[in-house]
Amino acid sequence: MTPQDLVVRMLPPFSGWLALAALALPGGSPLRGAAVAVFLAAGPGAALTGVCGPALRARPARGPVESRDPGFARRSDLLERLMLAVLLSVGAVVIVATVLIATHTFSAQRVLLALTLLTTLAACCPRLRASPPAPRTSTTRKGSAP
Amino acid sequence: MRPPATPRERSAPEPAPEGTAAPVTPDDAAAERTAGAPAPGASEASSPGHDPVTDRSDLPPAPPAGRGPRAARPAVPLLAALALWLYAVRHTDVSRLDDFGLVTALHPAFWAGLAVLTAGFWRTVRDPLRPGGWAAAYVFGLLVMERATQALLYPTPLYAWAWKHDGVVDHLLTAGGLQSADQVGDMAVYDQWPGFFAAQAALVRLLGVESAAMYMAWWPLVSSLLLVLPLLLIYRTFTEDRRLIWTGVWLFCVANWVGQDYFSPQSVAFALHLGVLAVVLRRYGRPGGGRGRHGQAVWTVVLSVLVVTIVVSHQLTPGMLVVSLLALCLVRRHRAWVPAATTVVIFLAWCLTAALPFLSAALPDMIRSVGDVGGNVATGYGATPTGTGAVATSWAARLLSGTVLLLAAAGVWRQRVLRHRAMPLLLIAAAPLPMLAASGYGSEMLFRVLLFMLPGVAFFAAAALLPEVRTLAAGARPDAPAAAPAPASRRGVIGAGGPLLVLLATTLAFVPSYSGKDRINYFPPAEVALVQRLFDEAPEGSTVVAANRNYPLAYASYGTVGHYWFLEDDRRHVDAIVRDPAATLAADMAGVERPGRAYFLLTQGQFANSEMNGQLTKAQLNRIRESVADSPRFRLVAENGAGVVYALRREDEDGPAGGTAEADAAEADAAGAETGGAR
Repeated sequence: MTPQDLVVRMLPPFSGWLALAALALPGGSPLRGAAVAVFLAAGPGAALTGVCGPALRARPARGPVESRDPGFARRSDLLERLMLAVLLSVGAVVIVATVLIATHTFSAQRVLLALTLLTTLAACCPRLRASPPAPRTSTTRKGSAP
Repeated sequence: MRPPATPRERSAPEPAPEGTAAPVTPDDAAAERTAGAPAPGASEASSPGHDPVTDRSDLPPAPPAGRGPRAARPAVPLLAALALWLYAVRHTDVSRLDDFGLVTALHPAFWAGLAVLTAGFWRTVRDPLRPGGWAAAYVFGLLVMERATQALLYPTPLYAWAWKHDGVVDHLLTAGGLQSADQVGDMAVYDQWPGFFAAQAALVRLLGVESAAMYMAWWPLVSSLLLVLPLLLIYRTFTEDRRLIWTGVWLFCVANWVGQDYFSPQSVAFALHLGVLAVVLRRYGRPGGGRGRHGQAVWTVVLSVLVVTIVVSHQLTPGMLVVSLLALCLVRRHRAWVPAATTVVIFLAWCLTAALPFLSAALPDMIRSVGDVGGNVATGYGATPTGTGAVATSWAARLLSGTVLLLAAAGVWRQRVLRHRAMPLLLIAAAPLPMLAASGYGSEMLFRVLLFMLPGVAFFAAAALLPEVRTLAAGARPDAPAAAPAPASRRGVIGAGGPLLVLLATTLAFVPSYSGKDRINYFPPAEVALVQRLFDEAPEGSTVVAANRNYPLAYASYGTVGHYWFLEDDRRHVDAIVRDPAATLAADMAGVERPGRAYFLLTQGQFANSEMNGQLTKAQLNRIRESVADSPRFRLVAENGAGVVYALRREDEDGPAGGTAEADAAEADAAGAETGGAR
């Protein structure tokens, strides 16, 4: 892992801990709002997308029938990762907050702490890799023409 | 040529429309690339008479972004439009809205800015030499002009429904957990789909603000931006033509007037719904290259997270998602039962556990409405646009939706290649229609169906505005039959001017459709202050009586304060109130037990809603107000330019105390001026 990879990998948990630290700022302060909003909007999703990335990419994406632009599929994949980072973050916030409120243990700090721990865990996990596809076995019967 | 009818036919390679060669499969395309695809110049030259390019395959790849003034030329209309918009925002006065809402209040520079933006977008997106980033910048500009204008113009958040959701968040924070119907009555439905509200409760506390009302005016912009990524991905599954992709996104934005982007669970659930569809379209189904189920499990886990979020947040969206995913299964190459089954299982699991109390109570009504399409699309009493402004803006909205639907039909009919390639989008557009027969959804089903159809509809509507898509092979064939070249003048008008005019008309029509009823939806700071004063004073167990629920903070303290909106009652009782207002209302309010009190609240938001939706007229409501004011049974609690609050006297209370009432009224006026509507 290169230092650059490490920085990219640790950015989401860092933003989570930063958001937690920002809670010390007075309520309504723009810095506190920015730190919290940025982490909640993309942090958990970015970490989850990162940990599942290789496994997700193992399944090729469907694209337009005709293709002339070699970079088109790559840009679509990038857009997909971006979308998943945002939507999975929204999902994580909603699910964690719902669980806490349903169990009468809700507090905003707990929500943020749980999401930060989840993000940190995901960033530290080894990347999930899909099992390689089973090799195709020849169906040519003995004695038949190849 | 007939469309493929059987699944087997559909799975066959796409048939070529008459006059074109057979389309290439991905493998063919790869082989073609290897063999050397036709040079952009040659492809362009193959267009008869240098007609406008016909497909992404005819567009030469954009060269590396150049530098200098020419490369930045698209910025000129964009910046001009934004400058005009900013000028308009600074010079628009919303203090005296009429029945046309924001339409007549807006400074003319706003309209000029929107026209410049649209023309600039159309010119930029069709220029093959411009990188796609400019189109994205224009769409961002459109969303800012569409969805941020109200946030900047109005000092308080719009929509009684948004205020209601603020009340739900507030209640969750106060209660600290979910409650049942025994504790909060009908409002328990929000505790059974609490996802959005729980997340907002956390956000309110984490931002350190007093309530969601502090930021919910910006929610339409945030939720609309959230839609762009999944929408782009969906469109990019079927075409590389950036004109088609971005024009589709543009048309989606301008046709999405139904107002589900406000601070609500459905605003987020809809973005997640599109995200799920994007993933399913791209990663599931029967692949050309034999992907089988390799890597599918991880994608299913990712989908499950999105689906769970939708299911715990909103009632209708999972149903729409299920019908869309089932519709996709009709196309062999996109047939994937796993996402549909996953969604059904998660949805059922939630419905049979957490949401069971609501569903078991609502089931009889739901069963009754199945198949009653007429009843489900009927608007009912209190939803009939009344008055020139309301009627005109309603027609603008209908015309806008009608135009986009007609354009989509034209696109489907005209673009034969695209019709086959993007068949899944066509199915996604049609999938919500059966829901009209399933439920009325509080007289809103028609609008919701329209919203969920829109991603597919906008794509084909965009296709109607663009040249016909041909297959790569057809464009490259030297003997490809050329369309008869149209006369240059006609081609010029229809090829560029016509679509631009349509795009311009739809973009401008968005404003009356979306903001034409702002007189109903806007609550000035004085109105907020008046209602806040009522709730500050009301003891637990009180009841607020009002004409309708169109006022801010209507659901504040709904756990302890009840409501009665008499225009929602039986028509005969409404007639009785109109005949003898004070006596009838006093009788209605007499049952409130101590320590609670009964309050009568009448505000300008209620007036606007009643007048513009065909309920009571201004004169009738004024008569009610005067009758209550003259009655010795009511005591004036507060009054300002936005409305009045009266309390029903208890039997042991003294007679009228004018001095106290006047002092209260003056105090409310002062409060309205001081707080500026902030809670």
